[in-house]
Amino acid sequence: MPGKVQTSAATLAGKSGAVTRTGERDGRSLWGVIAASQVYQAFSNALLSSPRRQFAILIAFPVLWVLTQHLGPMLQMLYVSFVEAYPVSSGYEQQFTLDNYARFFGSAIFIMPFFRTLAFAATLTLATLVLTYPVAYFLARHVKRSNQMIFLLLLLIPFWVGEIVRTYAIMILLGNNGAVNLVLKWLGLIDRPIPFMYTGFSLSVGIIYLSALYMLLPLYSALEKLPRSYTEAAADLGAGPWARFWKVTLPLSLEGISSGATLVFLISTGYYATPVLLGGPSTTVFAETIAGFFHTAGDEWPTGAAFACLMFVTALAISLAFGQMMNRLQKGVRK
Amino acid sequence: MTRHTRLVMSMIYWAFVLYIFVPLILMVTMGFKDSKFIGFPIRSWTLDWYLEVFGDAEVLSAFGYSMLIGVSSTLVSLAVGVWIAVLLNGRGFVGKGLIYGLTLLPALIPGIISAISFRIYAQLWGIPPGTGAIIWCHAVHNVPFVVLIVAARLGTLPKSHLDAARDLGADPIIAFMRVTLPYLRPALIGGGVFCMLISFDDFVRSFFLGGYQPTLPVLIFAKLRSGMSPEINAIATVVLVLTGLLGIWAERTTRRMKQGKLHS
Repeated sequence: MPGKVQTSAATLAGKSGAVTRTGERDGRSLWGVIAASQVYQAFSNALLSSPRRQFAILIAFPVLWVLTQHLGPMLQMLYVSFVEAYPVSSGYEQQFTLDNYARFFGSAIFIMPFFRTLAFAATLTLATLVLTYPVAYFLARHVKRSNQMIFLLLLLIPFWVGEIVRTYAIMILLGNNGAVNLVLKWLGLIDRPIPFMYTGFSLSVGIIYLSALYMLLPLYSALEKLPRSYTEAAADLGAGPWARFWKVTLPLSLEGISSGATLVFLISTGYYATPVLLGGPSTTVFAETIAGFFHTAGDEWPTGAAFACLMFVTALAISLAFGQMMNRLQKGVRK
Repeated sequence: MTRHTRLVMSMIYWAFVLYIFVPLILMVTMGFKDSKFIGFPIRSWTLDWYLEVFGDAEVLSAFGYSMLIGVSSTLVSLAVGVWIAVLLNGRGFVGKGLIYGLTLLPALIPGIISAISFRIYAQLWGIPPGTGAIIWCHAVHNVPFVVLIVAARLGTLPKSHLDAARDLGADPIIAFMRVTLPYLRPALIGGGVFCMLISFDDFVRSFFLGGYQPTLPVLIFAKLRSGMSPEINAIATVVLVLTGLLGIWAERTTRRMKQGKLHS
């Protein structure tokens, strides 16, 4: 019944200001005019005639998007990691090979940064957890609910500033003429500045500085959900502060720990600018190794792609295994 | 909780605040130092570095370029993100969980891997490194954040609003434009600013997908590699202030939305 649709759509568009308050100027909004137009009516009747068709239109674009834009780049990278050359020079056949992966296992120059990155990421994840847990706990349990947002915001603001600016801030903090060395000298603890920069230490400080928030937020939301009555009940039953923490609070915040640790671990394997700026020759991470293959023209890309795949698959596998472990722990808690 | 543990906890919190803020404060301070050399102590102060920054055509053009990329990629992310969020918030279908997982994927891929996979992918589609490639990569990377923020808001839209629109004869598109979209406004502001900030501050994607024109973070990186200078501090300070103000504004908007003060 096109006629009926037309009049009622026009009614909605033109007169019923109750549905929405935006857009109306002289009694008819832009969308009202469009809805009543012949062209739109034809379009609507052709495409939106049945719920099934409507759903098909709704779902088509998102599916297409996630497959081509979210999954596509990863699949293409996987594909390139198995070819000899990319892009292929004209006149040549595309050859498949495992050489790109073999190259990784053949040289310590590649293997060392790989394991260093994983070890770094794991250690820093743990350090971040230990550092931010008390902060999240304080925010969720000790700060008045009405003030929590302000206390949280105070920590959030600096995290909106990007990787480069915050890395630079750490360079100023730890440099030979940096603030830490100045304070130590002023206190008379050192004569000569300690070379913090371009070491594993400066890199660690930088990465923790960059990723602490990804741990803090999941922890905070897990702890915030935890009813206070649980710890109160434990206290009534005679549990001391430590017992309350180990037996009640910690086990019930495993979910937050799990998602925070996964995020921090995955993200910290992917930093590139920070290791370049804060690290030195002894702290080369795998991101720098991978990047090295992309500074040159296309001929090294397949190797870089293979290395990136190795890194991502390993990091993902570790995260999933960790998540599984936490899940099992959690189920143990529930029982 | 005893008063003692509360005190210890609050001290840890403030120590953490210091850890977060001190490096940034030092960085800001150093931008006012009247000397070419970065480092303490600071003996005399100046505003010259700021004057230099505002007169530096390279910095200004990088700033404008980053803004252009931020705004364009945010518009794409918002459009796509809203569409996906509407789908995921609607009725169930086979593979919904898979679509949800794939939607979040870009947020979980480590930066360097995301950057180089897009570098390869751009090659496949014949897109040269440069503005288009950066905007595209930033847009894809930000979609998951838009979906999460918009879906949270959509979840609070009373179904009766849409039913009313449908009863009055609006087809789904008109109902979306006149009911859902106005209702989503705060989420769009919050999500949009969030995307803007991520895009504006992004280094690794812009670095690997960029052409000859640098975005602001890429320019700062290049300057840092050739040596530290208070001019970089001045640039970074301007970025810090702008980012902070924009972020606080967006946060306020989304918070008011949560408290239900914004309805349309």
